[in-house]
Amino acid sequence: MPGSFRFLDDIALADMAFDAEGESLPALFEAATHALIESLADPVTITETWRHTVDMEEADIETLLFEWLGRLVYLKDAQGVVFHRATLSLTQNTALTAWHLHAELTGAPVDPATQDLRSDVKGVTKHLYAVTQEGTSWKARVVLDV
Amino acid sequence: MKLNTDMQVVKINDYLWEIPPSEKPGMLVPARIYASAAILGAMDRGVFDQVTNVACLPGIHRYALCMPDGHWGYGFPIGGVAAFNPEDGVISPGGVGYDINCGMRLIRTDLSLSEVQPKLELLMTELFRRVPAGVGSRGFVNLSRRDFRDVMRQGAGWCIAKGYGWEEDLERIEERGCLDGADPTHVTDYAVERGINQLGTLGSGNHYLEIQVLSDKGIYDRATAAAMGLTGRDQVVVMVHCGSRGFGHQVASDYLKVFEKAMRRYGISVKDQQLACAPFRSPEGQDYFGAMNCAANTAFANRQVITHQIREAFETVFGESARRLGMQLIYDVAHNIAKVERYRDGEWLVHRKGATRAFGPGSPELPACYRGIGQPVICGGSMETGSYLLVGTDRAMQETFGSTMHGSGRTMSRAQAKRTVRGEQLMRDMKQHGILVKAVSMSGLAEEAGLAYKNISDVVGTVDHAGITKKVAELKPIGNIKG
Repeated sequence: MPGSFRFLDDIALADMAFDAEGESLPALFEAATHALIESLADPVTITETWRHTVDMEEADIETLLFEWLGRLVYLKDAQGVVFHRATLSLTQNTALTAWHLHAELTGAPVDPATQDLRSDVKGVTKHLYAVTQEGTSWKARVVLDV
Repeated sequence: MKLNTDMQVVKINDYLWEIPPSEKPGMLVPARIYASAAILGAMDRGVFDQVTNVACLPGIHRYALCMPDGHWGYGFPIGGVAAFNPEDGVISPGGVGYDINCGMRLIRTDLSLSEVQPKLELLMTELFRRVPAGVGSRGFVNLSRRDFRDVMRQGAGWCIAKGYGWEEDLERIEERGCLDGADPTHVTDYAVERGINQLGTLGSGNHYLEIQVLSDKGIYDRATAAAMGLTGRDQVVVMVHCGSRGFGHQVASDYLKVFEKAMRRYGISVKDQQLACAPFRSPEGQDYFGAMNCAANTAFANRQVITHQIREAFETVFGESARRLGMQLIYDVAHNIAKVERYRDGEWLVHRKGATRAFGPGSPELPACYRGIGQPVICGGSMETGSYLLVGTDRAMQETFGSTMHGSGRTMSRAQAKRTVRGEQLMRDMKQHGILVKAVSMSGLAEEAGLAYKNISDVVGTVDHAGITKKVAELKPIGNIKG
């Protein structure tokens, strides 16, 4: 089942915040990723002329999500792109000491003439940042600096 | 008076309030807020919580301060000022802000509204073409990694050497557009890769390039305005608000992680993770300072390249050289920075986060042309209401480590602003009110609607009455470029 997200008011007056939720960790990651992609530009207006693969590993899921969202912001600036889609897979190593994220990103170089561009997110902050599990549901709260 | 805090707030005078150290465990000094009663009453809870958190940081000197445009920020409140003993105090990225050396620049012209108005659409189009804005925008200056290291070390001076500006621009930039101690070896590859293509770009959010008009009745202090080359008579000026873009943000993010670990090593605990800090003299503190100065210098260079592009746009549209159009820089000043500065009672590491340096008359740091009047202070309002030019005072040197407000301060979230107003409608409404807007993002434009901000005149009135800066002129927008 796909995850969901919603943007929040009155969390960070000058910036943007969202809650993401999923019935599984991959669903949570996909929802949070989608929220960030939508913050930058309307993905419907972004073609898939740029492709990129990311592999990341962190000791815990909270750090992995934080670093992954930060990587998206980095790619936006370093490669000058906005995103259409991210296909993610999450695995934990057999010793249960690390989480691995494999991501396949598509998108296109920034083009204000054809794309519905939104906010130039500068980074992911630690303010109120949390990844929590409630029953079978995973939730994350993320505040973006714009 | 009902305030958004349970802490005791003591009135010092009509424009200054103090929270005593007894109000929060760990406070080392009082917290002081510059505000009228009305502004204080409207301040969010975050201001009170955060300014008192700052008052707990090791080595803080005299007060933790907040200016009247203060609101919640990451770690320090926006509008926060704090000075630390450089020998045993800390440095904190949360006291500088993510957008290191975000700042303001003001350029004068000899043009009047009647000369500009007929060509305003053309001028705005030319500026919009020459000054990239918005998500992922890239500048026209192609830098090698070696070039970018030179920009980090030399700041605005690098631009002048490459022909992007005039030699005399430098004396009218805080610190001549170059902070000592910039060390690119302490900047990560991630930061370099984010910043190397962004020189000469505005960004988005609350950053802008604005064409403004100074009318006769907008001048509060004619002699001081004249010393800055401002005479009124519907004179056209250009204001720029931007910073170090993704580069500065990456530096801040990188060092917040470093400082989280360093705090454990140095036995420092803070009230808020976003106040992560390290002793200024520690290796981590000095590494951040070296990297932060790189980002600050890059921001000075960014605004310098944008100035070059503005001058070229005016030359194209008006068919005269920028010199003949009188396009001298009035001043460039940072409002997100940490610097070691000398005061009568010693040398302090001053953090300003959404606060502007406001050195008074006679300060040796000021160029000769401003030493008699005090440092120009540029305060940007919302794109619908206008901005102010002020000057620093001796009182600021005594009370606020030569600091004052930086802008109007938000009162409404971005999400709420977007629900309240649509970008396309706002653009039409502003045009009806004589303000032409060029924006990359309509939703981004809606987020910056004037209704989302405090009334800047009220905020400026507070610092003027408090005596920490004096009003010189009010500038009204006629053209605004946003990311």
